[in-house]
Amino acid sequence: MRGPLLFGASIVIAFAAWQFLSSFVFNPFLIPPPLVVFETAVPMVKSGEIFRHVAISLARVGVGFVTGCAAGIVLGVLLGRIRLVNELLDPVIELLRYLSPTAMIPIAVIWFGIGETSKYFLIFWGTFFIVLINTTAGVMRAPVIRQRAAECLGANQLQIFLLVVIPSAAPYIVTGMRIAMASSFMSIIPAEILAADSGIGYLLQMSSILLQTNRIFVALLTICVIGFIFDRLFRMAVDRMLSRYMSYIALT
Amino acid sequence: MLAVRNVTKVFGADANRYLALDGIDLEVSPGEFVCLLGPSGCGKSTLLNILAGFERPSGGSVEFEGAPVRGAGRDRVMFFQDAGSALLPWLSAEENVRFALRVRKLPRETWPAILDKYLAMVNLRDHRHKFPAQLSGGMRQRLQIARALAVEPKVLLMDEPFGALDALTRRRMHGFLLDIWQRTGTTIVFVTHDIAEAITLADRICIMSVGPGSRITEVIGVGLPRPRDPGEPDAARLFKRVEGLLMHDIAEVA
Repeated sequence: MRGPLLFGASIVIAFAAWQFLSSFVFNPFLIPPPLVVFETAVPMVKSGEIFRHVAISLARVGVGFVTGCAAGIVLGVLLGRIRLVNELLDPVIELLRYLSPTAMIPIAVIWFGIGETSKYFLIFWGTFFIVLINTTAGVMRAPVIRQRAAECLGANQLQIFLLVVIPSAAPYIVTGMRIAMASSFMSIIPAEILAADSGIGYLLQMSSILLQTNRIFVALLTICVIGFIFDRLFRMAVDRMLSRYMSYIALT
Repeated sequence: MLAVRNVTKVFGADANRYLALDGIDLEVSPGEFVCLLGPSGCGKSTLLNILAGFERPSGGSVEFEGAPVRGAGRDRVMFFQDAGSALLPWLSAEENVRFALRVRKLPRETWPAILDKYLAMVNLRDHRHKFPAQLSGGMRQRLQIARALAVEPKVLLMDEPFGALDALTRRRMHGFLLDIWQRTGTTIVFVTHDIAEAITLADRICIMSVGPGSRITEVIGVGLPRPRDPGEPDAARLFKRVEGLLMHDIAEVA
Protein backbone atom coordinates (compact mmCIF):
# COMPACT_ATOMS: atom_id res chain seq x y z
CA MET A 1 0.00 0.00 0.00
CA ARG A 2 2.87 2.32 0.83
CA GLY A 3 4.27 2.04 -2.72
CA PRO A 4 1.18 3.25 -4.61
CA LEU A 5 0.59 6.00 -2.02
CA LEU A 6 4.09 7.36 -2.42
CA PHE A 7 3.81 6.99 -6.17
CA GLY A 8 0.64 9.10 -6.12
CA ALA A 9 2.23 11.61 -3.73
CA SER A 10 5.23 11.96 -6.02
CA ILE A 11 2.99 12.82 -8.99
CA VAL A 12 0.83 15.23 -6.98
CA ILE A 13 3.87 17.06 -5.59
CA ALA A 14 5.37 17.33 -9.07
CA PHE A 15 2.16 18.85 -10.45
CA ALA A 16 1.95 21.28 -7.54
CA ALA A 17 5.55 22.38 -8.09
CA TRP A 18 4.88 22.75 -11.79
CA GLN A 19 1.78 24.88 -11.12
CA PHE A 20 3.70 27.06 -8.69
CA LEU A 21 6.73 27.53 -10.94
CA SER A 22 4.78 28.40 -14.06
CA SER A 23 2.43 30.77 -12.20
CA PHE A 24 4.96 32.67 -10.11
CA VAL A 25 8.48 32.03 -11.40
CA PHE A 26 8.47 31.45 -15.14
CA ASN A 27 6.58 32.90 -18.04
CA PRO A 28 3.30 30.91 -18.22
CA PHE A 29 3.40 31.10 -21.99
CA LEU A 30 6.71 29.24 -22.10
CA ILE A 31 5.70 26.79 -19.39
CA PRO A 32 1.93 26.50 -19.39
CA PRO A 33 0.61 25.51 -15.95
CA PRO A 34 -1.08 22.12 -15.51
CA LEU A 35 -4.56 23.60 -15.44
CA VAL A 36 -4.06 25.25 -18.81
CA VAL A 37 -2.63 22.05 -20.22
CA PHE A 38 -5.64 20.18 -18.86
CA GLU A 39 -8.05 22.65 -20.45
CA THR A 40 -6.24 22.25 -23.75
CA ALA A 41 -6.29 18.47 -23.48
CA VAL A 42 -10.05 18.13 -22.88
CA PRO A 43 -11.22 19.16 -26.39
CA MET A 44 -8.34 17.20 -27.96
CA VAL A 45 -9.51 14.10 -26.11
CA LYS A 46 -13.18 14.77 -26.82
CA SER A 47 -12.65 15.23 -30.53
CA GLY A 48 -10.48 12.13 -30.59
CA GLU A 49 -7.62 14.11 -32.12
CA ILE A 50 -5.11 12.93 -29.52
CA PHE A 51 -6.17 9.29 -29.82
CA ARG A 52 -5.74 9.42 -33.58
CA HIS A 53 -2.16 10.56 -33.20
CA VAL A 54 -1.49 8.07 -30.42
CA ALA A 55 -2.97 5.19 -32.42
CA ILE A 56 -0.83 6.03 -35.45
CA SER A 57 2.34 6.30 -33.39
CA LEU A 58 1.53 3.06 -31.54
CA ALA A 59 0.94 1.21 -34.80
CA ARG A 60 4.33 2.35 -36.05
CA VAL A 61 6.04 1.36 -32.83
CA GLY A 62 4.16 -1.95 -32.85
CA VAL A 63 5.13 -2.99 -36.36
CA GLY A 64 8.76 -1.89 -36.00
CA PHE A 65 9.09 -3.39 -32.53
CA VAL A 66 7.61 -6.78 -33.35
CA THR A 67 9.60 -7.24 -36.57
CA GLY A 68 12.74 -5.88 -34.89
CA CYS A 69 12.36 -8.33 -31.98
CA ALA A 70 11.73 -11.27 -34.30
CA ALA A 71 14.76 -10.53 -36.44
CA GLY A 72 16.92 -9.66 -33.43
CA ILE A 73 16.06 -12.88 -31.60
CA VAL A 74 16.60 -15.13 -34.63
CA LEU A 75 19.93 -13.59 -35.59
CA GLY A 76 20.96 -13.24 -31.95
CA VAL A 77 20.47 -16.95 -31.37
CA LEU A 78 22.57 -17.76 -34.42
CA LEU A 79 25.29 -15.38 -33.28
CA GLY A 80 25.29 -16.84 -29.81
CA ARG A 81 25.32 -20.43 -30.97
CA ILE A 82 27.44 -20.54 -34.13
CA ARG A 83 30.92 -19.29 -33.65
CA LEU A 84 31.68 -18.57 -37.30
CA VAL A 85 28.53 -16.46 -37.70
CA ASN A 86 29.51 -14.55 -34.60
CA GLU A 87 33.06 -13.89 -35.74
CA LEU A 88 31.87 -12.76 -39.16
CA LEU A 89 29.04 -10.50 -38.03
CA ASP A 90 30.01 -9.23 -34.61
CA PRO A 91 32.46 -6.54 -35.82
CA VAL A 92 29.88 -5.13 -38.22
CA ILE A 93 27.21 -5.12 -35.54
CA GLU A 94 29.55 -3.46 -33.07
CA LEU A 95 29.95 -0.61 -35.58
CA LEU A 96 26.38 -0.33 -36.83
CA ARG A 97 24.85 -0.23 -33.37
CA TYR A 98 26.12 3.33 -32.95
CA LEU A 99 23.81 4.48 -35.71
CA SER A 100 20.78 5.45 -33.67
CA PRO A 101 17.38 5.53 -35.34
CA THR A 102 17.63 9.33 -35.33
CA ALA A 103 20.85 9.20 -37.32
CA MET A 104 19.10 7.00 -39.85
CA ILE A 105 16.14 9.36 -40.41
CA PRO A 106 17.59 11.32 -43.36
CA ILE A 107 18.50 8.23 -45.33
CA ALA A 108 15.27 6.47 -44.36
CA VAL A 109 13.27 9.35 -45.82
CA ILE A 110 15.18 9.06 -49.09
CA TRP A 111 14.81 5.30 -49.16
CA PHE A 112 11.21 4.98 -48.04
CA GLY A 113 9.64 8.46 -48.30
CA ILE A 114 7.64 9.96 -45.44
CA GLY A 115 5.02 7.20 -45.51
CA GLU A 116 4.67 4.46 -42.91
CA THR A 117 7.53 2.32 -44.18
CA SER A 118 10.22 4.78 -43.11
CA LYS A 119 8.85 4.80 -39.54
CA TYR A 120 8.59 1.01 -39.43
CA PHE A 121 12.15 0.88 -40.62
CA LEU A 122 13.46 3.34 -38.03
CA ILE A 123 11.77 1.57 -35.11
CA PHE A 124 12.92 -1.76 -36.49
CA TRP A 125 16.45 -0.41 -36.70
CA GLY A 126 16.51 0.70 -33.07
CA THR A 127 14.85 -2.44 -31.73
CA PHE A 128 16.85 -4.90 -33.78
CA PHE A 129 20.30 -4.09 -32.41
CA ILE A 130 19.26 -3.93 -28.77
CA VAL A 131 17.40 -7.25 -28.91
CA LEU A 132 20.14 -8.82 -31.01
CA ILE A 133 22.94 -7.95 -28.61
CA ASN A 134 20.98 -9.07 -25.55
CA THR A 135 19.89 -12.33 -27.17
CA THR A 136 23.44 -13.14 -28.21
CA ALA A 137 24.68 -12.47 -24.69
CA GLY A 138 21.93 -14.62 -23.19
CA VAL A 139 22.57 -17.56 -25.48
CA MET A 140 26.32 -17.38 -24.98
CA ARG A 141 25.93 -17.27 -21.21
CA ALA A 142 23.64 -20.27 -20.94
CA PRO A 143 25.63 -22.22 -18.32
CA VAL A 144 27.85 -24.90 -19.86
CA ILE A 145 27.18 -27.07 -16.82
CA ARG A 146 23.46 -26.98 -17.50
CA GLN A 147 23.96 -28.00 -21.11
CA ARG A 148 26.35 -30.77 -20.14
CA ALA A 149 23.99 -32.04 -17.46
CA ALA A 150 21.21 -32.26 -20.04
CA GLU A 151 23.57 -33.86 -22.52
CA CYS A 152 24.56 -36.70 -20.24
CA LEU A 153 20.94 -37.33 -19.31
CA GLY A 154 20.55 -38.18 -22.99
CA ALA A 155 19.26 -34.94 -24.52
CA ASN A 156 20.18 -34.45 -28.18
CA GLN A 157 21.52 -31.17 -29.56
CA LEU A 158 18.08 -29.91 -30.60
CA GLN A 159 16.63 -30.67 -27.17
CA ILE A 160 19.55 -28.96 -25.45
CA PHE A 161 19.03 -25.95 -27.66
CA LEU A 162 15.25 -25.68 -27.28
CA LEU A 163 14.80 -26.91 -23.72
CA VAL A 164 17.96 -25.60 -22.06
CA VAL A 165 19.70 -22.82 -24.00
CA ILE A 166 16.68 -20.79 -25.09
CA PRO A 167 14.98 -20.81 -21.65
CA SER A 168 18.32 -19.93 -20.05
CA ALA A 169 18.58 -16.94 -22.39
CA ALA A 170 14.98 -15.85 -21.81
CA PRO A 171 15.73 -13.29 -19.09
CA TYR A 172 18.30 -11.59 -21.33
CA ILE A 173 15.97 -11.60 -24.31
CA VAL A 174 13.09 -10.17 -22.32
CA THR A 175 15.30 -7.48 -20.79
CA GLY A 176 16.52 -6.56 -24.26
CA MET A 177 12.94 -6.31 -25.48
CA ARG A 178 12.01 -4.07 -22.61
CA ILE A 179 14.90 -1.70 -23.23
CA ALA A 180 14.11 -1.76 -26.94
CA MET A 181 10.50 -0.87 -26.25
CA ALA A 182 11.51 2.19 -24.23
CA SER A 183 13.90 3.17 -27.00
CA SER A 184 11.17 2.69 -29.62
CA PHE A 185 8.92 5.12 -27.80
CA MET A 186 11.77 7.59 -27.75
CA SER A 187 12.82 7.24 -31.35
CA ILE A 188 9.34 7.37 -32.88
CA ILE A 189 9.16 11.05 -31.87
CA PRO A 190 12.12 12.44 -33.85
CA ALA A 191 11.11 10.23 -36.75
CA GLU A 192 7.64 11.78 -36.79
CA ILE A 193 8.96 15.29 -36.22
CA LEU A 194 11.20 15.11 -39.25
CA ALA A 195 9.28 12.84 -41.56
CA ALA A 196 5.56 12.41 -41.00
CA ASP A 197 2.17 13.99 -41.42
CA SER A 198 0.60 12.32 -38.40
CA GLY A 199 1.46 10.88 -35.01
CA ILE A 200 2.52 12.35 -31.66
CA GLY A 201 5.80 13.66 -33.05
CA TYR A 202 3.94 15.42 -35.84
CA LEU A 203 1.59 16.95 -33.26
CA LEU A 204 4.64 18.26 -31.38
CA GLN A 205 6.18 19.70 -34.53
CA MET A 206 2.98 21.41 -35.72
CA SER A 207 2.28 22.87 -32.28
CA SER A 208 5.81 24.21 -32.17
CA ILE A 209 5.49 25.91 -35.57
CA LEU A 210 2.24 27.53 -34.39
CA LEU A 211 3.84 28.44 -31.01
CA GLN A 212 1.10 26.49 -29.18
CA THR A 213 3.10 25.63 -26.06
CA ASN A 214 -0.01 24.32 -24.32
CA ARG A 215 -0.54 21.73 -27.08
CA ILE A 216 3.16 20.83 -26.98
CA PHE A 217 2.75 20.05 -23.30
CA VAL A 218 -0.28 17.90 -23.96
CA ALA A 219 1.75 15.91 -26.46
CA LEU A 220 4.72 15.60 -24.08
CA LEU A 221 2.48 14.37 -21.25
CA THR A 222 0.88 11.89 -23.62
CA ILE A 223 4.31 10.44 -24.48
CA CYS A 224 5.10 10.02 -20.77
CA VAL A 225 1.80 8.29 -20.04
CA ILE A 226 1.85 6.00 -23.08
CA GLY A 227 5.46 4.92 -22.50
CA PHE A 228 4.76 4.23 -18.85
CA ILE A 229 1.57 2.27 -19.55
CA PHE A 230 3.20 0.08 -22.16
CA ASP A 231 6.20 -0.67 -19.99
CA ARG A 232 3.84 -1.74 -17.19
CA LEU A 233 1.77 -3.85 -19.59
CA PHE A 234 4.95 -5.49 -20.85
CA ARG A 235 6.05 -6.28 -17.33
CA MET A 236 2.66 -7.70 -16.43
CA ALA A 237 2.66 -9.90 -19.51
CA VAL A 238 6.15 -11.13 -18.68
CA ASP A 239 5.18 -11.79 -15.07
CA ARG A 240 2.15 -13.73 -16.17
CA MET A 241 3.72 -15.81 -18.92
CA LEU A 242 7.44 -15.98 -18.27
CA SER A 243 7.84 -15.56 -14.52
CA ARG A 244 9.31 -19.02 -14.04
CA TYR A 245 12.07 -18.13 -16.49
CA MET A 246 12.71 -14.73 -14.91
CA SER A 247 12.50 -15.32 -11.18
CA TYR A 248 15.60 -17.42 -10.82
CA ILE A 249 18.02 -14.67 -11.81
CA ALA A 250 18.57 -14.08 -8.12
CA LEU A 251 19.77 -17.67 -7.77
CA THR A 252 22.41 -17.66 -10.49
CA MET B 1 33.67 -51.39 -16.55
CA LEU B 2 35.57 -48.17 -17.09
CA ALA B 3 39.10 -48.63 -18.40
CA VAL B 4 41.43 -45.65 -18.65
CA ARG B 5 44.75 -46.43 -20.31
CA ASN B 6 47.70 -44.08 -20.44
CA VAL B 7 45.48 -41.01 -20.86
CA THR B 8 47.14 -37.65 -21.38
CA LYS B 9 45.43 -34.30 -21.77
CA VAL B 10 47.03 -31.18 -23.19
CA PHE B 11 45.33 -27.80 -23.18
CA GLY B 12 46.37 -24.98 -25.52
CA ALA B 13 49.35 -25.03 -27.84
CA ASP B 14 52.90 -23.71 -28.14
CA ALA B 15 53.72 -21.19 -25.43
CA ASN B 16 50.36 -21.73 -23.72
CA ARG B 17 50.65 -25.49 -23.87
CA TYR B 18 49.66 -27.03 -20.57
CA LEU B 19 50.02 -30.73 -19.86
CA ALA B 20 47.17 -31.42 -17.46
CA LEU B 21 47.18 -35.22 -17.31
CA ASP B 22 50.22 -37.36 -18.00
CA GLY B 23 49.70 -41.08 -18.28
CA ILE B 24 46.62 -41.88 -16.22
CA ASP B 25 45.75 -45.55 -15.80
CA LEU B 26 42.57 -46.53 -14.00
CA GLU B 27 40.25 -49.51 -13.93
CA VAL B 28 36.83 -49.24 -12.33
CA SER B 29 34.85 -52.41 -11.68
CA PRO B 30 31.06 -52.63 -11.81
CA GLY B 31 29.46 -51.44 -8.58
CA GLU B 32 32.67 -49.98 -7.27
CA PHE B 33 32.94 -46.66 -5.43
CA VAL B 34 36.17 -44.94 -6.47
CA CYS B 35 37.36 -41.58 -5.19
CA LEU B 36 39.80 -39.41 -7.11
CA LEU B 37 41.56 -37.45 -4.41
CA GLY B 38 43.96 -34.60 -4.89
CA PRO B 39 44.58 -30.93 -4.28
CA SER B 40 42.99 -28.21 -6.42
CA GLY B 41 44.39 -28.01 -9.92
CA CYS B 42 45.47 -31.63 -10.10
CA GLY B 43 43.26 -32.43 -13.07
CA LYS B 44 40.65 -34.52 -11.23
CA SER B 45 37.81 -32.66 -12.91
CA THR B 46 39.53 -32.90 -16.27
CA LEU B 47 39.76 -36.66 -15.87
CA LEU B 48 36.10 -36.82 -14.88
CA ASN B 49 35.13 -34.74 -17.92
CA ILE B 50 37.05 -37.18 -20.09
CA LEU B 51 35.25 -40.13 -18.47
CA ALA B 52 31.91 -38.39 -19.09
CA GLY B 53 32.83 -37.78 -22.73
CA PHE B 54 32.69 -33.98 -22.51
CA GLU B 55 36.36 -33.77 -23.39
CA ARG B 56 38.57 -35.97 -25.53
CA PRO B 57 41.90 -37.21 -24.20
CA SER B 58 44.95 -35.98 -26.13
CA GLY B 59 46.46 -39.44 -25.91
CA GLY B 60 45.59 -42.88 -24.58
CA SER B 61 42.18 -44.47 -24.50
CA VAL B 62 39.03 -44.57 -22.41
CA GLU B 63 36.74 -47.54 -22.71
CA PHE B 64 33.34 -48.09 -21.19
CA GLU B 65 32.15 -51.71 -21.14
CA GLY B 66 34.67 -52.52 -23.82
CA ALA B 67 33.73 -49.76 -26.27
CA PRO B 68 35.66 -46.51 -26.64
CA VAL B 69 33.97 -43.43 -25.13
CA ARG B 70 32.98 -41.08 -27.93
CA GLY B 71 30.75 -38.58 -26.20
CA ALA B 72 28.38 -38.04 -23.34
CA GLY B 73 25.72 -40.64 -22.80
CA ARG B 74 23.19 -41.41 -20.15
CA ASP B 75 24.99 -44.58 -19.08
CA ARG B 76 27.56 -42.22 -17.50
CA VAL B 77 25.75 -39.37 -15.79
CA MET B 78 27.72 -36.44 -14.46
CA PHE B 79 26.77 -34.84 -11.21
CA PHE B 80 27.85 -31.24 -10.58
CA GLN B 81 28.71 -29.27 -7.48
CA ASP B 82 26.78 -26.23 -8.68
CA ALA B 83 23.25 -27.63 -8.60
CA GLY B 84 21.82 -24.15 -9.20
CA SER B 85 23.40 -24.19 -12.64
CA ALA B 86 23.00 -27.89 -13.37
CA LEU B 87 19.28 -28.06 -12.62
CA LEU B 88 16.73 -26.30 -14.78
CA PRO B 89 15.70 -23.46 -12.46
CA TRP B 90 12.48 -22.72 -14.34
CA LEU B 91 11.17 -26.21 -13.66
CA SER B 92 9.87 -27.53 -10.34
CA ALA B 93 11.61 -30.42 -8.60
CA GLU B 94 9.23 -32.89 -10.17
CA GLU B 95 9.54 -31.30 -13.60
CA ASN B 96 13.32 -31.51 -13.41
CA VAL B 97 13.11 -35.25 -12.95
CA ARG B 98 10.45 -35.42 -15.63
CA PHE B 99 12.88 -33.68 -18.00
CA ALA B 100 15.20 -36.66 -17.60
CA LEU B 101 12.37 -39.08 -18.40
CA ARG B 102 11.39 -37.02 -21.39
CA VAL B 103 14.85 -37.05 -22.97
CA ARG B 104 15.09 -40.72 -22.10
CA LYS B 105 12.02 -41.26 -24.33
CA LEU B 106 10.12 -43.41 -21.87
CA PRO B 107 6.40 -43.87 -22.51
CA ARG B 108 4.39 -41.26 -20.65
CA GLU B 109 2.29 -43.79 -18.71
CA THR B 110 5.38 -44.93 -16.85
CA TRP B 111 6.39 -41.45 -15.69
CA PRO B 112 4.30 -41.01 -12.53
CA ALA B 113 5.54 -44.22 -10.94
CA ILE B 114 9.18 -43.46 -11.74
CA LEU B 115 8.84 -39.88 -10.51
CA ASP B 116 7.38 -41.11 -7.24
CA LYS B 117 10.06 -43.72 -6.83
CA TYR B 118 13.04 -41.41 -7.22
CA LEU B 119 11.58 -38.40 -5.44
CA ALA B 120 10.81 -40.73 -2.54
CA MET B 121 14.30 -42.17 -2.66
CA VAL B 122 15.80 -38.71 -2.10
CA ASN B 123 13.08 -37.63 0.37
CA LEU B 124 11.76 -34.87 -1.83
CA ARG B 125 8.20 -36.10 -2.35
CA ASP B 126 6.81 -33.34 -0.16
CA HIS B 127 8.78 -30.69 -2.06
CA ARG B 128 8.03 -31.86 -5.57
CA HIS B 129 6.30 -28.64 -6.60
CA LYS B 130 9.00 -26.31 -5.33
CA PHE B 131 11.48 -24.69 -7.64
CA PRO B 132 15.23 -25.20 -7.18
CA ALA B 133 15.59 -21.65 -5.84
CA GLN B 134 13.16 -22.57 -3.03
CA LEU B 135 15.16 -25.63 -1.99
CA SER B 136 18.15 -25.71 0.36
CA GLY B 137 21.59 -26.61 -0.95
CA GLY B 138 21.33 -30.19 0.29
CA MET B 139 17.86 -30.60 -1.20
CA ARG B 140 19.09 -29.33 -4.54
CA GLN B 141 21.83 -31.91 -4.54
CA ARG B 142 19.31 -34.61 -3.65
CA LEU B 143 17.17 -33.44 -6.52
CA GLN B 144 20.17 -33.69 -8.80
CA ILE B 145 20.69 -37.25 -7.57
CA ALA B 146 17.06 -38.11 -8.26
CA ARG B 147 17.31 -36.66 -11.74
CA ALA B 148 20.49 -38.60 -12.45
CA LEU B 149 19.06 -41.85 -11.12
CA ALA B 150 15.90 -41.44 -13.19
CA VAL B 151 17.86 -42.22 -16.34
CA GLU B 152 19.24 -45.33 -14.60
CA PRO B 153 22.90 -44.68 -15.32
CA LYS B 154 25.49 -47.39 -14.94
CA VAL B 155 28.04 -44.93 -13.67
CA LEU B 156 27.60 -41.76 -11.63
CA LEU B 157 30.44 -39.29 -12.11
CA MET B 158 30.47 -36.83 -9.25
CA ASP B 159 32.56 -33.66 -9.32
CA GLU B 160 32.99 -32.47 -5.72
CA PRO B 161 29.23 -32.72 -5.36
CA PHE B 162 29.01 -31.74 -1.72
CA GLY B 163 31.84 -29.21 -1.65
CA ALA B 164 29.50 -26.25 -1.27
CA LEU B 165 27.48 -27.71 1.61
CA ASP B 166 28.01 -27.16 5.31
CA ALA B 167 29.72 -29.95 7.26
CA LEU B 168 26.58 -31.40 8.86
CA THR B 169 24.58 -31.45 5.64
CA ARG B 170 27.55 -32.99 3.90
CA ARG B 171 27.68 -35.84 6.42
CA ARG B 172 23.99 -36.52 5.94
CA MET B 173 24.50 -36.52 2.17
CA HIS B 174 27.29 -39.07 2.56
CA GLY B 175 25.00 -41.48 4.38
CA PHE B 176 22.37 -40.83 1.81
CA LEU B 177 24.62 -41.42 -1.17
CA LEU B 178 26.02 -44.65 0.31
CA ASP B 179 22.51 -45.90 0.94
CA ILE B 180 21.48 -45.22 -2.64
CA TRP B 181 24.71 -46.69 -3.97
CA GLN B 182 24.11 -49.89 -2.04
CA ARG B 183 20.49 -50.10 -3.12
CA THR B 184 21.00 -49.40 -6.80
CA GLY B 185 24.40 -50.96 -7.36
CA THR B 186 25.49 -47.99 -9.45
CA THR B 187 29.20 -47.55 -10.05
CA ILE B 188 30.45 -44.22 -8.70
CA VAL B 189 33.54 -42.20 -9.54
CA PHE B 190 33.73 -39.38 -7.03
CA VAL B 191 36.11 -36.43 -7.22
CA THR B 192 37.07 -34.69 -3.99
CA HIS B 193 39.90 -32.85 -2.28
CA ASP B 194 38.60 -33.79 1.14
CA ILE B 195 40.49 -36.73 2.66
CA ALA B 196 37.83 -37.52 5.28
CA GLU B 197 35.17 -37.56 2.59
CA ALA B 198 37.18 -39.99 0.48
CA ILE B 199 37.76 -42.30 3.44
CA THR B 200 34.08 -42.20 4.43
CA LEU B 201 32.88 -43.12 0.97
CA ALA B 202 35.33 -44.99 -1.18
CA ASP B 203 36.19 -48.61 -1.86
CA ARG B 204 39.38 -47.35 -3.42
CA ILE B 205 41.08 -43.97 -3.24
CA CYS B 206 43.20 -42.85 -6.19
CA ILE B 207 45.55 -40.11 -5.15
CA MET B 208 46.46 -37.68 -7.90
CA SER B 209 49.57 -35.52 -7.99
CA VAL B 210 49.60 -31.76 -8.53
CA GLY B 211 49.74 -30.58 -12.13
CA PRO B 212 51.22 -29.99 -14.60
CA GLY B 213 51.41 -33.57 -15.72
CA SER B 214 49.28 -35.09 -12.98
CA ARG B 215 49.20 -38.79 -12.61
CA ILE B 216 47.74 -41.26 -10.15
CA THR B 217 50.51 -41.69 -7.65
CA GLU B 218 48.92 -44.13 -5.28
CA VAL B 219 45.85 -46.33 -5.11
CA ILE B 220 44.65 -47.22 -1.63
CA GLY B 221 42.01 -49.82 -0.94
CA VAL B 222 39.84 -48.79 2.00
CA GLY B 223 38.98 -52.08 3.61
CA LEU B 224 37.00 -50.63 6.51
CA PRO B 225 33.40 -51.68 7.21
CA ARG B 226 30.65 -49.13 6.55
CA PRO B 227 29.29 -46.91 7.99
CA ARG B 228 32.68 -45.42 8.70
CA ASP B 229 33.51 -42.82 11.26
CA PRO B 230 36.55 -40.70 10.38
CA GLY B 231 37.28 -40.58 14.13
CA GLU B 232 37.84 -44.34 14.53
CA PRO B 233 41.47 -45.41 14.98
CA ASP B 234 41.70 -47.33 11.67
CA ALA B 235 40.17 -44.47 9.73
CA ALA B 236 42.34 -41.95 11.54
CA ARG B 237 45.46 -43.95 10.70
CA LEU B 238 44.43 -44.05 7.08
CA PHE B 239 43.76 -40.32 7.18
CA LYS B 240 47.32 -39.69 8.43
CA ARG B 241 48.76 -41.89 5.76
CA VAL B 242 46.83 -40.24 2.92
CA GLU B 243 47.58 -36.81 4.31
CA GLY B 244 51.26 -37.70 4.38
CA LEU B 245 51.17 -38.72 0.74
CA LEU B 246 49.39 -35.53 -0.29
CA MET B 247 51.53 -33.21 1.84
CA HIS B 248 54.68 -34.74 0.44
CA ASP B 249 53.44 -34.02 -3.05
CA ILE B 250 52.35 -30.47 -2.32
CA ALA B 251 55.58 -29.69 -0.46
CA GLU B 252 57.57 -30.46 -3.57
CA VAL B 253 55.65 -27.81 -5.49
CA ALA B 254 55.16 -25.13 -2.86
